[in-house]
Amino acid sequence: MGLVIGGFMRLVRSLTRRKLRTTLTIVGISVGIWALVVMSSMANKIGALVEGGSIYYKDKIIVIDATTLGFGFGSTPLPLAIADQIRAVPGVAVTWPEVQMLFDSEAAAAGFGLPDLISGTVAGADQGREQFQVRAARGRLLTAGDEGSSNVVLGSDLARKFGKQPGDAITIRGREFTVAGVLEPTLTAPDTTALLPLEAAQRLLADSAPLAIRQGMVAAQLVSQIIVYPEEGVDIAVLATAIENQVDHVQTLTGKDFDEQIGSSVAIFNAIILGVALISLIVGGLSVINTMAMSVVERTREIGIKRAIGASRGRIMREIVLEAGLIGLIGGTIGIVLGAVVVVIANEAGRDSGIILFLLTPNTAAFALAFSTVLGMVAGIAPAWTAARLDPVEALRYE
Amino acid sequence: MAFVEAYNLHKTYRMGRNNTLHALRGVDISIEAGEMVAIMGPSGCGKSTLMHILGLLQPPDRAANPPPRILISGVDVTNLSDSRRTQMRARTMGFVFQSFNLVPTLTALENVALASEYAGQSRSTAAATAREALEWVNLGDRAHHRPTELSGGEQQRVAIARALANRPALILADEPTGNLDSANTAEVLEVLRKFNREHQQTIVLVTHDREVGATCSRVLLMRDGVIGDEHPRAAA
Repeated sequence: MGLVIGGFMRLVRSLTRRKLRTTLTIVGISVGIWALVVMSSMANKIGALVEGGSIYYKDKIIVIDATTLGFGFGSTPLPLAIADQIRAVPGVAVTWPEVQMLFDSEAAAAGFGLPDLISGTVAGADQGREQFQVRAARGRLLTAGDEGSSNVVLGSDLARKFGKQPGDAITIRGREFTVAGVLEPTLTAPDTTALLPLEAAQRLLADSAPLAIRQGMVAAQLVSQIIVYPEEGVDIAVLATAIENQVDHVQTLTGKDFDEQIGSSVAIFNAIILGVALISLIVGGLSVINTMAMSVVERTREIGIKRAIGASRGRIMREIVLEAGLIGLIGGTIGIVLGAVVVVIANEAGRDSGIILFLLTPNTAAFALAFSTVLGMVAGIAPAWTAARLDPVEALRYE
Repeated sequence: MAFVEAYNLHKTYRMGRNNTLHALRGVDISIEAGEMVAIMGPSGCGKSTLMHILGLLQPPDRAANPPPRILISGVDVTNLSDSRRTQMRARTMGFVFQSFNLVPTLTALENVALASEYAGQSRSTAAATAREALEWVNLGDRAHHRPTELSGGEQQRVAIARALANRPALILADEPTGNLDSANTAEVLEVLRKFNREHQQTIVLVTHDREVGATCSRVLLMRDGVIGDEHPRAAA
């Protein structure tokens, strides 16, 4: 072990003979890795959101009003009675009406990540079909017995944003609610969702309708969507088509629609941010090549000495490549630390407003570290090759 | 049997389009095992080139007729690959240069240990070998100093320890005392002579200094790329 450290220290000493240049190169790599870490963390966060959605939508069909455009959070209300028509379609096992709307009437649905949402359902009316289970971190989940009450269960980010604990009062869209529980983090939609009893959510939905419409409306007859769980073995796409054919004025959304609409736009976004990070790393890699090439020229004589006293070409190459790899490793480590600092600070700053942009996973950190080390080593190969090919006699004459 | 034999060594350097330098013009040389031979001659006579060729650092002109031949311990090494020549340098030769040529970032001990590592020793064995070799040149107490912290004489003794560490059969020294004062010159020569005498290590050294030549068992005089004259001497 001591010997390994001794060998490592030799490399370090070799690096520190041109301190400024080595430092600048390390800074270059650090910035690249920093960008990679921050942007990957952003991509991770979005990836987790989308993956959660993808899992959630996989096993069900969402039925919405025909005039609503795709996956949105401000859909045109449906009459609750449509649920009965849907249940009559062969292959439908359970229907679960839901009111879904923006938590804040003034917030725009567009934005980064997911907006805060309200979801109102009769708890348990899915008859155990829902596979995406949430758990209460504090307090309790809603039950069917909460219908008629003003209880609410808050997603983890929402609870933190408003600083609410079970038992606290909270005003949602002008109405008073009592927090019954707070969910465990899921990294996806439920974190920014307030779960309400269906009746309470229907009242909020009615409140939000324009005055002219509201007068003719009975709140209890409206929902925003109906979640459909198919019977076992029924093809989701076929059933979705059947529902659209047999029930008037509705459209259906399935997991495939979600993956196509959301997944593809996320993939493009990921490609862009990773592209930016990779460009900065290519610049970092070039700077390692430059540093090591200059270092080889300066060390020509030393390389000649080593060759003369019996160092093989492979050994000379290894030395240069390891040194370049060490630059990458140090730069990568600094970049990850800086990236982690930014992620933590930005997340803490964003938490108050409910914007959690970043998710730094151990995988991302390990990848970034391995990447920067390999990048350094690869960048060192060309200078190392030059060094290994030096003619010992010429190199010894070099002043 | 001679330990080092070489025949018809030519070396031509192209200096420019119409300018070639004939550093060696057909050198034959034969050195017995255990000899301490000085190669002397004016600047540019090809002494260093001859050293480099005998030390397998560069090949002679292959186009010479008859073709050049180099034998070490009876083995033809003329056409060895780069890696075999490197291995040969590491295991059977020790080099000493005029300008010491120590690696500036390494301590005296690490510089000496390099030679043993290149010869295939593990890092810990090499360190032990190096410590012993530094004792031979009375630098045991300077083991952890960098070259810049050592005097010229001390640096050259470190270089000699590096050359001796693997107990190589052949030591090639190119102007080993060229940068040293007379006291250090005497000390360096004493170490070399001692190892030549006690361990029968063959030593070939290039020098300008007649007094250095006088301590060797034989002096070869070079002029214009050939060995001209030979002065056998009794070992001093």
